[in-house]
Amino acid sequence: MSLGVLLVEDDRELRHTLHQALQVEGYRVAAAASLADARALLAHAPAEAGFDLVLLDLGLPDGEGSTLLAELRQHASTPVLVISARMDEGPKVQLLDAGADDYLIKPFSLAELLARMRVALRHRGRAARPATLRLAVAGVSIDLETRRVQRDGQDVHLTPTEYRLLARLVQQAGRVVTHRQLLVDVWGPEYTHHTHYLRLYMAQLRAKLEADPADPRLLITEPGVGYRLADNDA
Amino acid sequence: MPTPADLFTAPRTPWSGALSLAIWAVTWGLMLALDEHMDLANLALLLVLGAAVAAIGSSRRLALLACAASVLGFNYAFVPPRGTLTVGLHQHAVLLLAMLAVSGIVTLLMSRLRWHAAQAAEHARRSDRLRQFGEALRAIDDPAGQARTLVAALQAEWPARSGADPSTPAVLLRDPQGTEHWTGTAAADDADGLRLCLEQGRALGPGTGRYEERAAWYLPLRGRQATHGAALVHRPAGLAEAPAALPQLQALCDQLGSVRERQLALDAARQAREQAADHALRNTLLTAIAHDHRTPLATILGAASALHDQVGRLSAEQQQRLAATIVDEAGQLARLTDNTLQLARLGSPGIALQTDWVAVEDLVGPVLARARRRDPQHRIQARLDPDLPLLRVDAVLLVQLLDNLLDNARQHGGRDVPVELLARRDGDAVCLVVQDRGPGVPAALQDRLFERFQRAATGPADPADGAGRSGAGLGLALCRAIAQAHGGEIGWRPRRGGGSRFELRLPVQAMPADPPADEPEAA
Repeated sequence: MSLGVLLVEDDRELRHTLHQALQVEGYRVAAAASLADARALLAHAPAEAGFDLVLLDLGLPDGEGSTLLAELRQHASTPVLVISARMDEGPKVQLLDAGADDYLIKPFSLAELLARMRVALRHRGRAARPATLRLAVAGVSIDLETRRVQRDGQDVHLTPTEYRLLARLVQQAGRVVTHRQLLVDVWGPEYTHHTHYLRLYMAQLRAKLEADPADPRLLITEPGVGYRLADNDA
Repeated sequence: MPTPADLFTAPRTPWSGALSLAIWAVTWGLMLALDEHMDLANLALLLVLGAAVAAIGSSRRLALLACAASVLGFNYAFVPPRGTLTVGLHQHAVLLLAMLAVSGIVTLLMSRLRWHAAQAAEHARRSDRLRQFGEALRAIDDPAGQARTLVAALQAEWPARSGADPSTPAVLLRDPQGTEHWTGTAAADDADGLRLCLEQGRALGPGTGRYEERAAWYLPLRGRQATHGAALVHRPAGLAEAPAALPQLQALCDQLGSVRERQLALDAARQAREQAADHALRNTLLTAIAHDHRTPLATILGAASALHDQVGRLSAEQQQRLAATIVDEAGQLARLTDNTLQLARLGSPGIALQTDWVAVEDLVGPVLARARRRDPQHRIQARLDPDLPLLRVDAVLLVQLLDNLLDNARQHGGRDVPVELLARRDGDAVCLVVQDRGPGVPAALQDRLFERFQRAATGPADPADGAGRSGAGLGLALCRAIAQAHGGEIGWRPRRGGGSRFELRLPVQAMPADPPADEPEAA
């Protein structure tokens, strides 16, 4: 059974292009041009053929896409991938903190979109299932069950804070985690403005795990937003 | 506050009248005492002397009265036959008349002299107040504060007297947009009076020849070009005529008028400058869009239309190549658009950077990843010194800056030797260097390398120059704008052994406290 994607995008050309491209990739696609259309499609989707992923544009003719995100998050954990033409980091971070799974800034390539969709779909239903526990990427293997981190087959010793930071990223491997989320989960809610903690510990982690810390392949920086643990799909 | 009119009618102090009386008493005492020893003419001279001295202190009217009384008294006491007002000899009559005339003239001259002195002193005090008011105005920028200063100055100049209308003056200012700013309160018809005064730029009220019946003066705040407001000064009760201080009140008002006018002129000049800068920026951006954006668009349209029109006649390989061209050029166009938008954003006033603590690795990593995505064949060697301090910067902008430098090196830096990206500490700055082994920068271009692409300004008269610069476009101008927004600087120089070396210096700021120490082992 193919995976269902709800595509909410008001630009006709982009909607058609994406619709076609996603169908070629084997997805079952329903397209909506407005918030109202999207709500109708969501409400009338049959239970056995619901949506596994939502691609959501922000500026829609009848309102902001972020309102739909808030509605969805009230009762569903369906992954939401935001696609937007806006460059600013502020709204990006807000959306991620509000429950969006990832974002793509227009223009983007099909390959980028498909990679982000694969990651988002893999995390689908994470509320019920345990998060990713084992990961092997860029010569590094991480096992959260045994708390074991290896690089090129050699054990790597991490401090407790380094380990918590890495584990937090592993839980959402392939997806961007905002600075704020990392600071709250690793240090605590009162540390949300201590970005420099994050920078210093990230530098330590990279020094231990990356072949070339200046050109990281595992701990990827998303400038102005957060970090992403590289993933074989993304 | 005495007006000049007051100086004619009233002595300056109660004591000056008493002083005159005392002088007269001494004079008379002397005359009576010397009566036996001096003849009549000499005694008469004493009296004239007394009249002159007494006139210094007393008012003119009193002095004249005293003169006349003394001459009569002299006649009675000394002129034979004594004890009567009759004059025996003709020559005595002449003496008395001459005495009266001389005393009178001396008294008049004295009081006139005193009036002039008082005028001069009053004039000096007024100029002083005017000057103080001017200085006070210079120290204040906002119109409301200036209006309050004027109210205070008007009150000092024309204080409400006992029993007079206690209302304080009111000031109306009107800016060129027609918005009114009120200081103090004015009744509805007073407000109308002020507006009329402002419209006409002329004073209204008693003594001005217009609206004489009003109980207040409406004084315009005049500049050289226009009237910028009006002030309301209430007339003290019982004073019918225009006060002599009216010109002084008007001078105060006009001073504020000129200050307002100068400020408005400065504002207008600043706005014009900003508009010109805006205009220049817009022109730059339009030029960039017209030129830089069209090149990739033309390539995309060419390749896409070939795919569309000739699809049956193209080999699979040709189709693949055309599609790859479209993808590459669209990426380039997206980057150009980002640059153009960012430059427009940085050019607009009041832009706030999203600064945060960032490690140099967090800047270099994304740049290398982007460069790799854009062109996997392009070799870049990154060397970062260990223990570089964190930088407080807008990460997105810095990544864009470095991305532009690397892309510039990719396009102009030759492909045989890898481009180098270095980061090192240099005193209180961090230096980021991008260097290549390409042909370098032509001499004609070196001075203006970081200037905004200004093809329209150079014009078609210098086509070679324009063609030479087309590659740089907005990218380097944006680099400089970003560096400057961070208090840093960017420069170019020829690399030793050939090629280009771009160097970005960013200031290092004091770091907040380190995170708490971690236990050494865990995993």
